[in-house]
Amino acid sequence: MSLSLHCLLFFFRKCSAISSVLIDPPILQHVEALEVLLQGLSGVPKERVRVHELCLKSGPNLGVVPSEVRLLGDLAQATPSWTIRHVGGAMRGAGAEQISVLVRTVVESKASKNVLHYFYTLGYKLDHEILKIGFAFRFHRGAQITVTVTSANKMPRLHATDEAVPVTPGIQLVEITAPAAADNYNDVVSAVTAFCEFLAPLLHLSKPGHSTGIVTTAGAAAASLMSSGGGKTL
Amino acid sequence: MPAVKWYRTLTSRNLPSVFLPALSLTPAVFRRRRLMHWHPSPGVTLNSQILAEACGCAESLGGVKDGRWKTSIFFYRAMTRDGAAGPAGQQGQQHPDLPRELLGVALHERPGLYFSIVRAARLVLQADAAFPQVMEKLQSYKARVALNFEVASCLLVSDFPNLGGFQYQLGDFCLRIGKCAPNNSESLRGIMMEVEYYPLSSIEKSRAIMEDFFDIWQETVAKKSLPGHFIHVESNFSEYGLSDQYSFQHTAVQYATCLQQLMATVRG
Repeated sequence: MSLSLHCLLFFFRKCSAISSVLIDPPILQHVEALEVLLQGLSGVPKERVRVHELCLKSGPNLGVVPSEVRLLGDLAQATPSWTIRHVGGAMRGAGAEQISVLVRTVVESKASKNVLHYFYTLGYKLDHEILKIGFAFRFHRGAQITVTVTSANKMPRLHATDEAVPVTPGIQLVEITAPAAADNYNDVVSAVTAFCEFLAPLLHLSKPGHSTGIVTTAGAAAASLMSSGGGKTL
Repeated sequence: MPAVKWYRTLTSRNLPSVFLPALSLTPAVFRRRRLMHWHPSPGVTLNSQILAEACGCAESLGGVKDGRWKTSIFFYRAMTRDGAAGPAGQQGQQHPDLPRELLGVALHERPGLYFSIVRAARLVLQADAAFPQVMEKLQSYKARVALNFEVASCLLVSDFPNLGGFQYQLGDFCLRIGKCAPNNSESLRGIMMEVEYYPLSSIEKSRAIMEDFFDIWQETVAKKSLPGHFIHVESNFSEYGLSDQYSFQHTAVQYATCLQQLMATVRG
């Protein structure tokens, strides 16, 4: 099994941490094992994830600089809710390089369902859209941590989420995020890093673009987790 | 002769609580509101005495002052790489595809919400209080800064107006009377009144009683022989895709309409 591991730290109005992992094909069993492991670690029920993500970019002449905004439609709810997300640049400098996560600004706002029409009216254009399908765990463990395990799906027709097909069949993206503030992100980094250690038998974490390669113990760890029944709070 | 409904709402204040209007029993629903603004007589300069007289009218009707309120409206301008600023730009090449006017509305009683209105497209977006931060990060639309309101340029008059004033309880009604002034300035640019009717959230069902109230209010104001009068300009909610059931989005749209009227009054 090959795992590509990412660890990101978002710098919100608060700060948050993310780690992510790509899991390859024969690894469906490993996804199930990860779910068992996360269930045990978090002690909270799994949440269904079905998010329609639209990436918009500013028109040719709009804005002091080109800008990008993401609209997230939560389709897991009976009545979809929408969130506007702006992701800023990564924190730089010696301090940022030494930590195992990426720090960047993220600003989010809930919005009414006409938000796409609104941004079109302001002069933004649709760049691409995907549908993320999977599950998530939200819990507190040194920080308010959210773990999502999703697959990216593309739509054959514009906004046709019901017809979405996987972009890379069998591959799952695992992300770990935690909000933090400017004055405590070191603590959040520590909390996320510590949590990621628990996933080490299955997943290794790194910043985006810094793959840690194959986790040789994953197969055995998954088999062990699945055979032990799992689901027990650790 | 006041309408029966109006008479009932006034007298209900003196009844035992069990007979009071449905307000205290009504769950938190959106209640019908209507905005009016002061239209001064030709050649008359607006002054704060009008505001004091309007508050006096509310008190003469039995209104009980129970607090202050404030609503803020922000004007945004498109930022472009060639220095033009949309159709409303003052310099360089203009961009007709960008909206001429983008308004942000922060309502007094819902600080967690923020509304953005593109009036030309009949579009109102409801977002949360972090929305202005998103706009700031995008650097595509900038909230304009009021520089000199004494110039009395029509476009500058309503930059960053703060609409604030007193709130009165009047039976089934709540009256909010206030001035319109630029941010960080006491300069008076308009007087507005917001009337909220607690029992109903349907616009159609509340239309008659709102008009009854408006008639009584006009009679009361007329007795003061003030140089002007309050007017209400109906917002076309259906154009914005809003239903008959009142919501905060309706209020935001009304503020946009009312502000447009105030600007027109200044221009006139």
